[in-house]
Amino acid sequence: MKNFMWENLFRRDNQDQDVLEALRHTFVFAALSRKELRFVHDVVHVRTFKPGEAIFRQGEVGIGMYIVLKGSIDIYVDHSVDEDVPGRNHLVTRLRGGDFFGELSLVEHNSRRTATAIAAEECHIIGFFKPDLLEILERQPATGVKILLRLGEVLGRRLKETTQRVTELKEELRRVGDRV
Amino acid sequence: MRSPVSQTILKRVNRWKLIGLLALLSFLVFLLLKVENLLGSALLAFVVAYSLGPAVNFFERRGVSRAVATSGVFFASSVVIVLFSLWLFPYLGETLYRLQNDMPRLIEGVGRFINEAETKLRAIAGPLSSFDLRTRVESQLTNWAHGFFTSVPIALKNFVTVMLLGPFLAYFMVKDGRYFMRSLLGMVPNHLFETALSLQHQINFQVGQFVRARILESVIVGMVCAIGLLIISFPYALLLGLIAGVTNMIPYLGPLMGAVPAFVVAAVNGYSSLTIAAVALVYIIAQLIDAGVLIPLMVAKIVDLHPVTVIVVIIAGAQVMGVLGMIISIPVASTLKVTFFTAYRHLIDTRN
Repeated sequence: MKNFMWENLFRRDNQDQDVLEALRHTFVFAALSRKELRFVHDVVHVRTFKPGEAIFRQGEVGIGMYIVLKGSIDIYVDHSVDEDVPGRNHLVTRLRGGDFFGELSLVEHNSRRTATAIAAEECHIIGFFKPDLLEILERQPATGVKILLRLGEVLGRRLKETTQRVTELKEELRRVGDRV
Repeated sequence: MRSPVSQTILKRVNRWKLIGLLALLSFLVFLLLKVENLLGSALLAFVVAYSLGPAVNFFERRGVSRAVATSGVFFASSVVIVLFSLWLFPYLGETLYRLQNDMPRLIEGVGRFINEAETKLRAIAGPLSSFDLRTRVESQLTNWAHGFFTSVPIALKNFVTVMLLGPFLAYFMVKDGRYFMRSLLGMVPNHLFETALSLQHQINFQVGQFVRARILESVIVGMVCAIGLLIISFPYALLLGLIAGVTNMIPYLGPLMGAVPAFVVAAVNGYSSLTIAAVALVYIIAQLIDAGVLIPLMVAKIVDLHPVTVIVVIIAGAQVMGVLGMIISIPVASTLKVTFFTAYRHLIDTRN
């Protein structure tokens, strides 16, 4: 009984601390000072998902990114080209505490999700969305600019990786063509 | 690792969460409509909060904490209002004193008008010659006066309540409104969260822009009227400009209501037709600037409603809640439109 009471009394404080730690270790917020992190902490949303519950589905319009606070999330992609034929989801990766995903939706207008994210177990996720970013830019522009610069860096890195992958695939296709 | 929860159970849980949230929102709307003066106070609070919010954000951007920035801006606004009142009340007192001096002339003018009308009526209408116009008008005026004086204390009580409660609510809306909204959003089921957050942001943005645009529009219209009346050396120019600015908030009827006092003053003082035409010209110019420049530039872009829809919603607002309904009808319709389209887009997305 005693443990139950203490646990409930301090659960919120512990979660606040966990959120702050998770934000500090996320690349997008890593450049922020302690005060700025506290400000961001007051703006973001912590959501709980049950095992098997979708965080978002491929093709839906998204407005922000998520950071895994606790638990794990499976990312599936449906590669089917024909929209009339129901596709099959392929597990691409499993994300764990500290990982973040969906950041493209923060900057793209009417961005459609390119994959489906489903909770593999009960998990707590930090949601950071476009209205939150706009609020930060309005109230603390210096903090907003730091986040945007980091976000640009992440997107640039993703673009570089994609370009590299496309180049590799092109090369592979050329080799296959030569062999045929 | 726990096994996945069945989709049926998830849907059921989400449905109950949604029902709970809608019940809470309905209860809040019920309270707003049923608790005396709460709706008026909440509307005033929204107007004050949306007007002063940008100033609070400005100071917050310069490193001042939100609590200090909110308190500072509200304190400064209170000082401005007190100083304005210190100017306005003696001015109003002087105006009323002058009006009191003008009163015998007004009563004499009205009496003369009734006598003339009665004489003309007797001369023209034989069978109606027994019609006692003076008694009828007198009894009607007595009824109006009685109704006016019995409703004044109630209206005064409501006015004072709204004026005290509105800014009080506005202070907490600006300082802690975001926490309240976050708590409310925390109750939204996961599958609707992004849609709800996006909707809340759009509504907040649109209503905020609308309120600020309407206030700026009214200030400009009021100033144009006041300056115009000062140029033609018309009495009570500043007070009439203030009235024109405030009544301009009421769509369609407002500009007419704002012009009436000026014509009453002109009639009481027995001004020439040229002066009355000049007064009319001032109000027409103010309305032309409003309709031709201010509304297309500031309000129409924000509201994004078809002109016919605007007329229909204003009539509906007037039917349901009178003048208050006319004032709030456009932002309410605009909010409903945003909600409908966001819900529709969400449904299409989910179905696809």
